[in-house]
Order: sequence, then structure tokens, then C-alpha cells
Amino acid sequence: METLTNNFKSIEEFQVISDVFSQAITGELIGMSNFASLSGTIEDPFEKMEAIEHANGERQHAEGFMAYAKKTGLNININLNGSYWGRIRDVFLSYANKNDFIACLMIQEVMLEAFAVSMYTDVGRVLEDEAQKLFLSIAEEEKEHMDHSTEILRSELKKNPDDFIRKIEIIHYECMTILSEFSARTDLSGHCGVCHGDCMKNSLHHIGLDVVTMRGNALALYAEALDNIGIPGEKSVLWIANLPA
Amino acid sequence: MDSKSTSLDFAIIGHQESWQSITSFINGIRNASIEPLPVDKIKDVFGFMPPRDLFKITLKSKTGNEVNGVFIETFIDPDKLSARYLKTNISKVKKAISLASKLNAKLATLGGFTSIVLEGSRNEFKDISIKLTTGNTLTAGFILKGIEHACVQYDIRLEESNVLIIGATGDIGLACTHYLKQKVSTLLLNARNQRRLETLATSLRNEGVNVFCDTNLESLVPKADIIIAVASSKDILIGNTKNNVIICDAGYPKNLENRLLKKEDIILFHGGMGIINYGYTFSPNYKPFFYNYPVDNVAHGCVLEAVILAFEKKYENYSVGKGNITPEAISNIYQWALKHGVELAPFYNSKGLCKLFNTKV
Ligand SMILES: NC(=O)c1ccc[n+]([C@@H]2O[C@H](COP(=O)([O-])OP(=O)(O)OC[C@H]3O[C@@H](n4cnc5c(N)ncnc54)[C@H](OP(=O)(O)O)[C@@H]3O)[C@@H](O)[C@H]2O)c1
Ligand SMILES: [Fe+2]
Repeated sequence: METLTNNFKSIEEFQVISDVFSQAITGELIGMSNFASLSGTIEDPFEKMEAIEHANGERQHAEGFMAYAKKTGLNININLNGSYWGRIRDVFLSYANKNDFIACLMIQEVMLEAFAVSMYTDVGRVLEDEAQKLFLSIAEEEKEHMDHSTEILRSELKKNPDDFIRKIEIIHYECMTILSEFSARTDLSGHCGVCHGDCMKNSLHHIGLDVVTMRGNALALYAEALDNIGIPGEKSVLWIANLPA
Repeated sequence: MDSKSTSLDFAIIGHQESWQSITSFINGIRNASIEPLPVDKIKDVFGFMPPRDLFKITLKSKTGNEVNGVFIETFIDPDKLSARYLKTNISKVKKAISLASKLNAKLATLGGFTSIVLEGSRNEFKDISIKLTTGNTLTAGFILKGIEHACVQYDIRLEESNVLIIGATGDIGLACTHYLKQKVSTLLLNARNQRRLETLATSLRNEGVNVFCDTNLESLVPKADIIIAVASSKDILIGNTKNNVIICDAGYPKNLENRLLKKEDIILFHGGMGIINYGYTFSPNYKPFFYNYPVDNVAHGCVLEAVILAFEKKYENYSVGKGNITPEAISNIYQWALKHGVELAPFYNSKGLCKLFNTKV
């Protein structure tokens, strides 16, 4: 209890920050595993090594969050097999097993990173000191991943726009449906298996956040990411309109 | 599919007037096999959405020429148009302009609220090649032609009429004021800011125009034979209108209509609207979600301004700033519109077509 009173204003704040860190660590570990699997889909030796380097980057992010959690005595729960994270990992693996580099890039670097960058930024803005720095600097690094893969995906789109858009549409519904259910006002597919007790979504106001704004910002960043790749707005609006809400 | 490879003649940048229309669009494009969403869930997502190009538009001119454009929805929150949200809204308009430019549109018109960014400094747009217009010149044109047309139909002599302009110091209000100043008996001018209103009235008096101005409508309304409402407020209350007063409500949200339609002795129509006689298509065909007029082929003057400039291949900043619209510019664009088969829309209001009004000679 001593650490708690030293670092947090209230038990509610302690609990919600514990859940935020638990989600972030779980997400980073998913990212790490995804990049490791991704390296298997790549022919080019340099790109292969780069994927492992990215996996290592995600490992370092997870370690950074874990170190802070340990220091401040947060109550962390890591679960890579919960009903959302587990399904996301399954979708990713289904493409990694087919050696589909482009699909893997789309899932990890665009869909998951859009949510990570946006949500880390929102969290970073309301937390203080070291926690703030941690979230904002990791958001910045994840953003670089997004930009890097946007280049690759943009040139892929140019090769055969119709096929590319058809493919991304399928992946969008497979992956974004899960993220959309996960981030909805109430969990649309049951408890996430990460948060303690009830979902932290209902307690975000203790740290000055709310799930509607966080989700809205994340979907907006995703829409912009699709724009940057060159997906017509006409398509992205249709895809997003058809997600569960 | 590469956004830069195909060039567009124009872009229309707009926003919706209510969440209801955004909801009907989103539910309309949702797969029939999934549940429609309630408006609050749609707000949760689309209240945050960055501007998006929603559909392409092709229009035919009377001359046989065709122009191609795109509609860009800013996703400005229709419940958040007040000054408090100005920064967010302006940033959305700017993003929409960048998108229009990225889509290689030669000209963009800024419909409804979005025109606000063209009324101030345009320095930030000096590096982009796209031309911009508020569409206010043709809007003013349709408002004024509507008034002239109504006068003919009702046998009213414009030169003997007192014309009240609500929102007289605004861009469209000023355009109407300058167009009408030599054509009417008296101009009655209204807006909220007294200083701006007085300055305008003084300069008109110096030109010999018969003019009264007041920030309070009560003193002006009983004198008015014709009323043009071009403010951006639904809080305007008017009473004591003359019998058979002609009212052109061209502002958004509709300035006067809600309270006035119950009165039998007024003639009220939505002004600033044109009709396209040679057809147009939307692709995808989202017309059912975005079209809610009682007559086919009607569109806002501000939208049609871009179309007409595209037909004329006049890719220029036609209407920019505030108070720059001249009677000549109004006449020119109105003539070009007629040349391409775009005319004044029939009179209607929220009850539907004004039948009597449209048929009476
Ligand atoms: N039909 C169309 O196609 C079309 C096209 C473009 C625009 N519009 C509509 O036309 C209207 C005018 O556009 P604009 O560009 O000229 O706008 P603007 O330059 O902002 O002018 C608005 C005018 O209304 C006055 N005003 C605002 N609230 C008022 C109130 N409660 N009572 C009296 N006066 C009031 C303002 O002066 P104070 O602030 O001093 O009151 C100003 O004179 C807008 O509603 C716009 O949406 C229609
Ligand atoms: Fe949760």
C-alpha cells in the first residue's frame, strides 16, 4: 500500500493505470510475436533482419512499460490469448503462415500501429512525468514504423490497385472488426481477459480519458493511414461504416 | 486508381446540416445484413472522422460538354458549428482542401459553413495550386433572380419595394445590398454588430441610397415588402410582417422558416438554389442519402458555382474574401449558368413545392 499512496492519487487511478499498462504490455508482446513471425514471410535477407530488429524494438517497448510498472508497483496482468488479442494474433498468423508479407504489414504496421500510436498519444497526454515520456516516445517510434510501411504499401497499390484494394478490404474486415469490438463503449465480445475486474473503459475518467474519444481518434488515424497508402476515401468510409460499433 | 493520374475539374467541400443526414448515409451504406446503427454510435465514430471524398459527380452542359468532380465531406459536427469549435472546424476544412488538391481537382468550392476559411487570410493556401471559391456569387445570383422572378409572378414592382436584408454585413448580404441598392425603393438592413451595420449604411447614404438599418428587427419587419434572410442563425424571430410579404430564406440553418410557415399570408421559399437541366450522376450512386429536395436536379448555388466555372474552364478564385462580390460578377456567372442549362430552381420550402407560387403568372 505504501507504493500506491506514493505514486497514485487514488485506488481507482492505480487500478486504471494498471490496466492501461497491462494492455500496452500485452499489445507490445503481440507486436513482438507478430514481427518475429513476419520475418519468416520475408525472402530478402536484409528485410528479414529488419523484421527481427522491429520485434526487438517491440520487446524493448514491453520492457520499458514493465520496468515502470515494477517500479511503481502497478498490478499487471499479461494475457496474449484473451478474446481480442488472441483473435488478432490468429488473424495475423493465418497470413504469416501463407508467407503473405503485405497482409502482415497491413495488420501489424497499419491497423495495430494506428491504434497504438493514437491511444499511446492520448494516454501520454494525461499521464505525468516518466509515464508520459514513456508513452509519447513509444508512440513516436511506432509512428515511424507506420510511415516506413506506408511507403511499401503505397508502391504495392500502384502495381495493381484493384487487386490490392480488394485484398486490403478483406483484411480490414478480419482485423478491424476485432479492434472495433474491443474498443467499443462496451466490449462487444465479452471481457478482454486483460483488465482487472470490469473493463477499464468505464474507469478511464479517473485519469481524464474516455473510451469514445480514444476510439474516435484511433479510427481517425487509421482512416488517415489508409489515405496515405492511397486507398480512396470512398472505400475507407464504406469499410469503417460497416464495422461493429 | 492512382490519385494523381486522373484530374478532376472541381471538388465540392461540404458538411451535413444534421446528424440525422449523416446517420441515414452511414446506415444506407452499411451492409443490409447488419444492424443499422443508432445516431449516438455513429457520432462516436464519424464525429472524429477526417474529411473524405465520398463520391464522384459527372454533369452535362446544354452545350454537350461534361465535367467531373468529387464531393468531399468534411465531417464537421453539425451540432458544433459555433465559434467555440472554430479551430477544429477550420482544421477540418483545411484538410479537405489538401485532399481536393491531392485528388488533383482544379477548383474547389467551399459549401455552407466551410466558406469561412476563405473569408479571412488566404496566406496558408498560397502554396497549393488548387483554386478556391466560396460559391457566394452564384448563390447571391440565384437569391436575386428568385426575388426578381417572384416580383414578376406577384406583380410587385421591385423599384417601389422596401427590401429587408437580414445578415446584410455578411458576404452574401453585401452582394445582395450592392446589387439591389439602385433597384429598390428602400433598403432595410439588419445584422447584430451595430458598428459594421452603421458603416455600411453611411456609405450607402453617401451614394444616395435610401437606407434604414437597425440591429433590432422589430422596427424593420413591418416596413418590408420583401425579406432576404442570409444570416447563419435559426434564432431569428420576426413578427408583424406585411400581408403577402415575399421571403427568401437562404441561410443555414434555415433562418426564419420554422416559425413562419404556419402563417398563411406570407410567401416563403428557400433561396440560392439552382436546377440542372441536362442531368448529372453520382458514382457510387449515393443520391438517395444526400438528396432531400422536393424537386429533382436541384443544387445549392455555391455548389453550382464550381460546376459553372468548370464548364467555362475558368479555374480561378472566383468568390473570395468578404464584400468583394460585384453586380457584374453576379450577372456574368448567372449568364454562364443559363448557357450551360443551369437555371433558377423552382420555389419550394420545407412543406414542398410552392405550387401556387410557381404557376401563377
Ligand atoms: N443557398 C446557398 O446555396 C448558400 C450558399 C452559401 C451560403 N449560404 C448561407 O447563407 C448565409 C450567409 O452566408 P455568408 O457567407 O454571407 O455568411 P457571413 O459572411 O458570415 O454573414 C452572415 C451575416 O449574418 C449576420 N448575422 C449572423 N447572425 C445573425 C442574427 N442572429 N441576426 C441577424 N444577423 C445575423 C452577420 O452579422 P453579425 O455577426 O453582425 O450579426 C453577417 O452579416 C449562411 O447561413 C450560409 O450558410 C447559402
Ligand atoms: Fe478491457
